[in-house]
Amino acid sequence: MPGSAELDVRWRPSRHARRLLTLALGGLLIATLARRPEFAGLAAPALLLLGPARKPRPVRVRVRTAVATSQLYEGEVGTVDLIVDDAELDARWVLQPGRGVEPASATAAGGAAARFEFTVPRWGKRQLGSVTLVLHDRWRLVEGRVTLALPDVDCYPYPAVQRTRVVLSRLPNRLGEHAARVAGEGTEFTGVREYVPGDRQRAINWPATTRRGRLQVNTFAAERSQDIVLVVDATSDVGPPGSSALDLGLRGAAGAAQAYLDGRDRVGVICYQWGGARWLAPSLGRRQVYKIIDTMLAADAGWARGDVFSRLPRAALPPGSLVVVFSPLLDQRFVETLRDMRERGFALFVVDVLNAEPPVKRTLADAMTRRIWRMEQQAIRFSLRELGVPVVHWDGELPLDLPLAPYTRRALVAHR
Amino acid sequence: MNARLRLAAALPRLAALALGAACVVWTALPPRHTGLADLALVVSIIGVAAGALRLALADVPQPEEQFFLSAAAHTWLAFLAVLRGLPWEEIAVAAILWLEVQHPARPWYTAGLGVGLVAYLLAVHIAESGAPAGQLLRRQAKVLVAGACLIAVGAGFAMLSATGPGASSALLRVLAAAAVIAAAALVLPRRD
Repeated sequence: MPGSAELDVRWRPSRHARRLLTLALGGLLIATLARRPEFAGLAAPALLLLGPARKPRPVRVRVRTAVATSQLYEGEVGTVDLIVDDAELDARWVLQPGRGVEPASATAAGGAAARFEFTVPRWGKRQLGSVTLVLHDRWRLVEGRVTLALPDVDCYPYPAVQRTRVVLSRLPNRLGEHAARVAGEGTEFTGVREYVPGDRQRAINWPATTRRGRLQVNTFAAERSQDIVLVVDATSDVGPPGSSALDLGLRGAAGAAQAYLDGRDRVGVICYQWGGARWLAPSLGRRQVYKIIDTMLAADAGWARGDVFSRLPRAALPPGSLVVVFSPLLDQRFVETLRDMRERGFALFVVDVLNAEPPVKRTLADAMTRRIWRMEQQAIRFSLRELGVPVVHWDGELPLDLPLAPYTRRALVAHR
Repeated sequence: MNARLRLAAALPRLAALALGAACVVWTALPPRHTGLADLALVVSIIGVAAGALRLALADVPQPEEQFFLSAAAHTWLAFLAVLRGLPWEEIAVAAILWLEVQHPARPWYTAGLGVGLVAYLLAVHIAESGAPAGQLLRRQAKVLVAGACLIAVGAGFAMLSATGPGASSALLRVLAAAAVIAAAALVLPRRD
């Protein structure tokens, strides 16, 4: 992402020049007031040393900036390269990192070109900060300052590790990679049946034909794809920064999006937050991962299309889709929304990302409060399971495959 | 950073401190207690010491986040801000000049002070900028020689006997010295 800008330079005397000026003016003033010529002589070297400050200096300089990438993942090291075109001046660069940006190298460098490394520890849209370019003439009598704002970067949540996928038992009639329960032209063997005219010759199972004395053909499962809608609950962000519920939700959703898109499924996202929801319709392809993450990053922008899921268009929640929810299940309205979706016939799957508890003091009342709170949380999860919604807990450390393991070995049956 | 590099970084700072202290001692002797001489002496000592301390603590970083710091840390940061904000060397130079003017006329002694002050300011500049001392002094050698000559000329003007009694004669000598210095500054070829 290269850029170039011509910037005005603000020139002013350097500290060295100011010191020499003090000596020169002080000497001359005392010489005049005290009528002592030796003080005029004392001022002479300073005046001579200040002579080159009269040399003309450039009013504008061209600075070229190149940020290696405008999108990076949490903890990934990015670089910004800076070059000033005026090679005659001594240049010194000082990086002032923006909020949420950590320098990964020295924050000051000398020379006409400089490279700074930085890292963003937590997801979000971040302003990289600014760079101050300090220019000196050869004698360091004047210094010019130029402040350059660096571009913004999008820091993506680091995707959770997920290789396996939850697959619905009833898949839409669309070509894909998941073996369906109906017979078709896939590659997964399902059985043997008697030959009927029209069957392909290459499907004949010769050992079975020999045993039974009549032509037998292999049958295969059809291969279908499914629609996945990832729902990220952004209403409650609890836990330490960096491993809060929202952090885990976004990382889990990013990992799930990659896993399902690798399996040729159509994946969409809905970010549920205070005052509405932001959504992206399911679609295919590698670019969809970045679209999904961009949608999630913009979730806290305050822009919303609808108040509840019932107001979302059909494109956001296609019928028959598998809804994978990442939520701490702390907002009762969100839990009610999940129940409503389940009653409307959607296959739901909840990944519980709550890893924090309310802080308590060593008092009986606090201990009792926490116990009641835990029971409430257990009741919420129990009520969802009773509705046929699997709820698994994920701590953010382990791969997502582990909590999902009981549901990835066989197709998920969602009763209406 | 090994010991050799540390010593190389510390040498200009030590030189600046030594030259500053030498200028103060040079101008303070013999001790004077007239006018504001005592105050000027104290101010010059503080200026030189604080300037040296500023150079010594130049590498101490300022913390980025200054919230929730302890009282000791806040005090330390305020001390650093004062140390880095005030022009200590300028204060020291002005105080030293004021201390020197408290003494009766001693032209060659004042000329020596001039040499010392220029050396002090150059040492501070070298310590502050990290510029190689040898290269910097070689580049400015001609100017420094010319400056030394002009200091001598100034001292010579001060030793000339007055053409007549009264203040106007002394002022005439000052103006003559200033004219010679200005002419030299203008005539000296511009350096690249």
